Amino acid sequence: MTETLKALGQLAILWAIYWVSTWLVSVTDVPIPGNVVGVVLLFTLLCTGVLKVRQIELATDFLLKHLVFFFAAVAVGLMEWGVVFYDYGLTLLAAIVISTVLPLLVVGRLSQFLNRERS
Amino acid sequence: MGTTNYLTTIFCIALTLAAYLGTRKLYLRYKHPLLNVVALTAAAVIAVLVVLRIPYNDFVPAKNIMTLLLGPATVGLAVPLYRHRELLRRFGVPIVGCVALGSFLAMLTAALIAKLGGLPHDVVMSIMPKGVSIPFAVEIAQIYGGIPPLSAAFVVATGTLGSLVGGWLLTLARVSHPVARGLALGTVSHGQGTATALMEGEQQGAMAGLAMILAGILTAALAPLAVWLLGFVG
Repeated sequence: MTETLKALGQLAILWAIYWVSTWLVSVTDVPIPGNVVGVVLLFTLLCTGVLKVRQIELATDFLLKHLVFFFAAVAVGLMEWGVVFYDYGLTLLAAIVISTVLPLLVVGRLSQFLNRERS
Repeated sequence: MGTTNYLTTIFCIALTLAAYLGTRKLYLRYKHPLLNVVALTAAAVIAVLVVLRIPYNDFVPAKNIMTLLLGPATVGLAVPLYRHRELLRRFGVPIVGCVALGSFLAMLTAALIAKLGGLPHDVVMSIMPKGVSIPFAVEIAQIYGGIPPLSAAFVVATGTLGSLVGGWLLTLARVSHPVARGLALGTVSHGQGTATALMEGEQQGAMAGLAMILAGILTAALAPLAVWLLGFVG
């Protein structure tokens, strides 16, 4: 029970950080998503020691474990967009395959080269 | 009418939860990249909605309730990033540089091919950020006029492809360094690539997890540049 209460308190902290981040984005009008700003903000708070990992990890570990549940709820929206795949299937496939394979090989080869240089 | 909607919402939430728990169990048992929890859960829910003739609009209130925690949950990705800060300190500049280049290439090639292939603007903007985790991809797409569920689908397709053939392609290209393999998998195929990298080893997994979160941040930061460059095409 106390664990649950603790997790809820930690969730409130995460929520506050997320809220501040989206607010920052809306007032500054920068084209960066609020959740990205939130990650950077929380990372900064952790690095500067303002927040300790143990003060939030109960909530973050649970939420991250089930992160894909939220994704699935978003993906149900596809039922309205199935036609896009019929209309443009081949182009989409080409775009996805090429834009996955090319950066995969570039990042792999380049980072291996850089690592060998260092060691 | 009011009660019906209320009941529909409760039914939709229960349905999504059940589908999620079921597919998760299946995935944890077999751990095959094709058993994608997002795709299978969404497919199961869509199938039931279609059979019961429940239009997507009636699902929306349930979706809004279920994704209430998505923002705070995504912010929590700072915790694994922080846990891996030692790696970041050790390989900082090359890691950030490689992930930035990879993310930018992924955005540019995806959007360029989609645009040259004659896809409408909203689809092009939906496919552009497909290399990063769904919450980032969806938000980035929205800034430039993309469609969230389409982005989610492209993200899953990319992740499935990366986790199916990524390791094999890297071996073919003689990328054997564990840091490099993890970095490449995490950069182009986010959480699904990270899961695959984890199966290869601890170091690959840690690197991929780090790369995946950095890719989210860097893709958001570089998206304006990619959109600007695309403006010169067609």
